[in-house]
Amino acid sequence: MAGTLPDDRELAMQILAELRAPRVAAAFACGGLLALAGALMQTLFRNPLAEPYLLGVSGGAGLLALLGMAAGLAWPWVSALAFAGSLLALALAAALGGRLLARDHTPLLLAGVMLAAGFGALIALVLSVTPAERLPGMLFFLMGDLAWTSQPALLWAALLLAVAAALALSRRLDVLQLSPLKAASLGVAVAPTRWALFALAGACTALVVAQAGSIGFVGLMVPHALRKLGFAGHRVLLPVCALAGGSLLVLADALARTVIEPRELPVGVLTALLGVPMMLWLLRKP
Amino acid sequence: MSLTIQHLSLHTGTRTLVDSLDLALEPGEVLGILGANGAGKSTLLTVLAGLAAPAHGRVTLDGQPLDALPPLTRAQHIGLLPQGDEGGFFGSVADFVALGHFPFGGPAPDLATHLATWELADLANRPLDTLSGGERQRARLAQLAVQAPRIALLDEPLTHLDPAHQARLLAWARSEADAGHSVVLTLHDPNWAACHCDRLLFLHGNGRWQLGTPADLLTPDSLEALYGPGTAALWRQNGRAQPV
Repeated sequence: MAGTLPDDRELAMQILAELRAPRVAAAFACGGLLALAGALMQTLFRNPLAEPYLLGVSGGAGLLALLGMAAGLAWPWVSALAFAGSLLALALAAALGGRLLARDHTPLLLAGVMLAAGFGALIALVLSVTPAERLPGMLFFLMGDLAWTSQPALLWAALLLAVAAALALSRRLDVLQLSPLKAASLGVAVAPTRWALFALAGACTALVVAQAGSIGFVGLMVPHALRKLGFAGHRVLLPVCALAGGSLLVLADALARTVIEPRELPVGVLTALLGVPMMLWLLRKP
Repeated sequence: MSLTIQHLSLHTGTRTLVDSLDLALEPGEVLGILGANGAGKSTLLTVLAGLAAPAHGRVTLDGQPLDALPPLTRAQHIGLLPQGDEGGFFGSVADFVALGHFPFGGPAPDLATHLATWELADLANRPLDTLSGGERQRARLAQLAVQAPRIALLDEPLTHLDPAHQARLLAWARSEADAGHSVVLTLHDPNWAACHCDRLLFLHGNGRWQLGTPADLLTPDSLEALYGPGTAALWRQNGRAQPV
């Protein structure tokens, strides 16, 4: 017994340092980035139901990632393809719907929704012609799974940079909640600020999707819930979103790994299972 | 010297709304703009605020072309109350009103005073979207008052307000003018226009415009020409209105 303890301890420490800690760190950064992106999208579209995947980012990422998986590519390539797919979706949304962004965000919103629908159909097509043995990996990617994340340092650097950039915009974002005309009359350059929001929210989302697939609900629920709880000013809302989103995803991932041990659930399933009741409870608040 | 408009023309599609308008807005005056729906009143205010370019002509503030001013500098001098649309604002009434100070940076001074002036003190912590239409309009006006522009452009500011608050708004416009500021407002009621405006601008929506004092312009014939048949009778019936 005495002889085995150090080995167990060593193994446990090794598991903690090499597997668990990086995964927890990655989960926190992913959750923070998604919640931050959600808050930015809700301000961009002046709508509390906006979320990071509204512009087809998850669809674009999913389609290219699935094509990569179908071709038998290794994860780093699939991840790179997912990132490229996200950027492709954003570029298409901007090109098709961004012309009037200074005055009206509806065309961008419609372009994004249409792209998401189009990518969704193509994803369904890929899934329907893929051999059954490849399907589980694809489904985990589409539902969001942190088992693939390999670069927590990159995600953390992105989170810190994104929070700093969002904070630099925060006062303008408060004003941007007003109508574009009113915001412009108060001295905000509406079009450049909206494009900055679009780019920042898009970059945060694309990075997470490339690392962990399309983890749902965090980006919608966390900012929405925090606004309902009274966090209105962006200077406080945005960093609190990053903290709460990160915490929620760490909790969801811990549960995803443990509830049906030794098997793992996709973390996206847990974020929804945790988030839906919380959201419904919040909606009952007057 | 204040806001000056030279040879300004406004178009919508192929239609000319305003043709070659010349106007120098004086400090200390309340200018009322009257015209039928779609005559170009809101478009003109947007151009005067420096937020849209006219088809022809130029607008200058103290001799400087408006489009050459940095947005924040412009917002420190010119305020606009557009017709309401606050669908995306998630915060409280106090947060909303305080945004009027954005062009100057830092927290809004005298916020409590402005909230009290517009009878919003009891509503200050309520979410904006729970307010009635009239209360929300008062919040917009309080936001503009916090901005304290020396040129205030108000697009149909009487909308949603009950008569007492309409009178209070017009009294506020007068007090702004007395403080040396200029107030431009679009409105529809010729009686209010007669009582509270120093000058009136009639926009006929076909390029034609008239500028003059209420005594010069407010006649049954001119109102019929502006709004169409039936409006002259309305003016005579309401001719009894007195300044508040």
